[in-house]
Amino acid sequence: MKFKSLMTSALLGASLVLTPSAWGATEIQWWHAMEGALGETVNKIAKDFNASQSEYQLTPVYKGGYEDTMTAGIAAFRAKQQPHIIQIFDAGAATIINAKGAVYPVQDLLSKHGVGFDANNYISGVRSFYADSTGKMVGMPFNSSTPVMYYNKNAFQKAGLTLPPATWEDFEMRVAPALKAAGYVPMAQSHSPWIFSENFHSRHNLPMATNNNGFGGLETKILYNNPAMVTHWSKMKQWQDQGFYKYYGRAWGDNQAAFVNEEVAIWFGSSGSFGGLKNSAKFPFGTTYLPYWHGVTSKPTNTFIGGAALFTMSGHSDAEYKGVAKFFEFLTKPDVQFFWHRETGYVAITNAAYELAQREGYYKENPDAEVGILQLNLPGGEHSKGYQLGFYVQVREVMYEEYDKLFSGKQDAKTALANIEEGANKLLVKFARTYK
Amino acid sequence: MRVFWKRHQLLNHLLLLLGVAFLALPLWLVFASSTHDPGTLIREGMQLGFGGKFQETYYGVLTEKKGFTEQVTAATMMLNSLILGLGFALGKIVVSMTAAYAIVYFRFPLGGALFWVIFTTLLLPLEVRIIPSYKVVADLGMLNSYSGLIIPLIASATGTFYFRQFFRSVPDELLEAAKLDGAGPWKFFIDILLPLSRTMMAALFIIMFVVGWNQYLWPLLMTTDESYNTIVLGIKSVMQNIDGNRLPEYNRGFALAILALVPPVCIVVFFQRWFIKGLLESDK
Amino acid sequence: MKRVTFSHSPIPYLFVLPQIAIIAVFFLWPSAEAIRLSFFLEDPWGLSNEFVWFENYQTIFEDPEYVGTLIATLIFSLSVTFLSLGLAMLLAVQVDGLLRGGGTYRPLITWAYAIAPAVAGLVARFLFSPQIGPIYAWLNPEGQPPWFEPNLDSIDAWVVVTSGAVWRQVSVNFIYLLAGLQSIPRAVLEASRIDNPSGLGRFWSVTFPLLAPTLFFLMVINFSYAFFETFAIIDTVFPFGPPSGAASLVYKVYVDGFKGADLGGSSAQSVVLMLFVLALTVVQFRYLEKKIHY
Repeated sequence: MKFKSLMTSALLGASLVLTPSAWGATEIQWWHAMEGALGETVNKIAKDFNASQSEYQLTPVYKGGYEDTMTAGIAAFRAKQQPHIIQIFDAGAATIINAKGAVYPVQDLLSKHGVGFDANNYISGVRSFYADSTGKMVGMPFNSSTPVMYYNKNAFQKAGLTLPPATWEDFEMRVAPALKAAGYVPMAQSHSPWIFSENFHSRHNLPMATNNNGFGGLETKILYNNPAMVTHWSKMKQWQDQGFYKYYGRAWGDNQAAFVNEEVAIWFGSSGSFGGLKNSAKFPFGTTYLPYWHGVTSKPTNTFIGGAALFTMSGHSDAEYKGVAKFFEFLTKPDVQFFWHRETGYVAITNAAYELAQREGYYKENPDAEVGILQLNLPGGEHSKGYQLGFYVQVREVMYEEYDKLFSGKQDAKTALANIEEGANKLLVKFARTYK
Repeated sequence: MRVFWKRHQLLNHLLLLLGVAFLALPLWLVFASSTHDPGTLIREGMQLGFGGKFQETYYGVLTEKKGFTEQVTAATMMLNSLILGLGFALGKIVVSMTAAYAIVYFRFPLGGALFWVIFTTLLLPLEVRIIPSYKVVADLGMLNSYSGLIIPLIASATGTFYFRQFFRSVPDELLEAAKLDGAGPWKFFIDILLPLSRTMMAALFIIMFVVGWNQYLWPLLMTTDESYNTIVLGIKSVMQNIDGNRLPEYNRGFALAILALVPPVCIVVFFQRWFIKGLLESDK
Repeated sequence: MKRVTFSHSPIPYLFVLPQIAIIAVFFLWPSAEAIRLSFFLEDPWGLSNEFVWFENYQTIFEDPEYVGTLIATLIFSLSVTFLSLGLAMLLAVQVDGLLRGGGTYRPLITWAYAIAPAVAGLVARFLFSPQIGPIYAWLNPEGQPPWFEPNLDSIDAWVVVTSGAVWRQVSVNFIYLLAGLQSIPRAVLEASRIDNPSGLGRFWSVTFPLLAPTLFFLMVINFSYAFFETFAIIDTVFPFGPPSGAASLVYKVYVDGFKGADLGGSSAQSVVLMLFVLALTVVQFRYLEKKIHY
């Protein structure tokens, strides 16, 4: 018995000595919110980075969903145990970008540690989202997607349609009635705030908020209660009553499942959804841009990204930051970006990666994968660069509340949007005061 | 006819069987469904009969390693739940017994005041102070640790009052006799009170084990490192995966639910008598 | 208090220390922090804060959502209390009235005590799930527009959450009620047979009043359970948030504090909840003490 335990401790001791960290490799902690298969891809990238050099050991840790990860990061920062890299999502961007004492802007990090940084390397739809009011990139975009439209080709065939709707007018007049007659629910969507509010403004080049959508500073007001939105959401309710649109609740999956079940013929999801759809949908589907209202604009513009970025937290040593910079350098290599893009469906964020994918013929085999990037690269307008608004998680809560009430018939679109604007502005004012 | 009804009490039995079915049927559906593959579940809904995938699903859930460190399986989560349940139950008993002993058997300055301090914890359940409790634990650096998981939960006085009731029911003669024999407070506690309290300790242990095992909100808040997930929390992460962009794996979620349920149910059923005694004693 | 005690010993201080230490660190300090934070507007990172008097409280009470949530939580708690007590009473009476076989039923009902509220929520969620739930399918037959939509309608959502909560709580109440019933002396029941040949009449005039203290105790326990401890059920039935109008007060504290990183607001909500509990406990002790001593 004693011999056994001696051997075990010897082996344990040996394994400790033989792991790279015992050799003095600097450890870098990366907290992320990528679950399931996405997390496995993250792990692979980290393993590849670790294998490519021996100075630094990168350890990714899954901390739960986006909100949980941000909360974990905040708590860790308060307890002085923050990680080096943390993944923060779009709705939380304002919270971390305005925390000047907590974050180390990635542009500064990369410049200081000799890794080149040029904003023009990044595709245009991605560049500006995670920058501060001076335009400096604070976060490094990591997993970016944009909302796109998926449609069931069988359903379209059955309904005698060939082309998906390019405009909402087209949807209402040509596509929806035909789909309904063929026995389908014409349309469902999975995220009222992201797809049908934020990107609605972007697609139509309408301002979401004052102060350049919040980028200009903290004294910002939301502008959701505008004629275009009122029209659009009144139409949504009307379509619900007419049977052109069905709301399956807040959960993303419930609305997607209806599309997979072939109950719904058109579904609005994320550019990253096509991977899962390829596995689960038993019908051929097409991918295309979000429709727009011709009555609002004749020159629709790009959508912007959702997803998250990687932020570096303050309070670490220079040696560790060097490691972080090295990792970011690794991460933005075209082949690594292409790998991430291919495996997960998130868009390739650098132009070089996009070009690599094109050269490799990836989009010939998977045309759906390109739609997101193409839509992001559409000619932009002044209001289509994204947003940076504080307490935005709670603003989205307000939106969900009001849209829920709209769809259950408790109020009309005008009231809903007025309430959203009021609630959101209260939150924004509070945020501005909190971060003074 | 009346005699027939009375003797066979068919109506009573019928109502009781309905009651038992009301309690058991939903779980049966969950269990049976967990043995099917997700495709069947999506097409046909939850199942009453078995689907032949019991071994595959449960074995997979118990042993499939996830995470960067590749250590988190359902077995790990059950282990965490076990640690939480045992640690919480043991901790509660030790802390409450000693505190109750002090309050009941001693007159000392501060005694009265301390009693009221302990009492106030009954007034404010954890749910009401979750955010600041989280902040405190975070500030202490106790997030993602077993101690952080267990110790804050012990801060309520239910156990102390439970033992207080019991100690007050112990006859004074015992103490008088012990004092006559020259026994000090420590000896009295160890040699006389503890053996007397055995049944009560067992009863409270069972109840607290179940309470600890079934905790949801507190572990949810303070474990962001998945290797500390309890099995009850594991259900939530599977469910969140279901709502992501992938094929919903209902069968795994259901399997986890069953795994989360089996240990506490077994304990409650096997130790029924003690457990019920403990519940009833603690209502005073 | 005990008449016979020890004196002049360091033991009480030592023995009471663990409990007091834990209470001080994990109860008193957080409660004090909650009260302190409720008067500040502090950024989540702890980098800046501003004293704002009662503004957070004002915001709460001016928010129609908060008041709505309060009312919804109250109604929900009352429904859970009465439904689970009613069902448990029914079952307990049956078991008590059995001449034979009562012993077999007891474990068949009490096992449900071990169900975690989170598991109850999960079961409720899938039983009512539009994709795979048998109850949903039963309520919304094919071919007709669905009328029961827990993901959209707040009342339907509450029905699902209530079902989960009641399902789990019945066995707790059952245990207490059965014990209470079985502790009523047979002699009393026999004697009342003369005045009340009807079983139901006997129940209301004799059994029910004798059970009153237990019932009252259970009402308080059930109400607090439903009011405070059903976060697990709501969160497992609706992982992305319940539809508008179907959140409970505790859930709201969690969402605002944890997901929204609004420390001041959620602390104020916590303090309000604390005051609520205090009021509830005062009521409980006043009436409980009175009723017990008859």
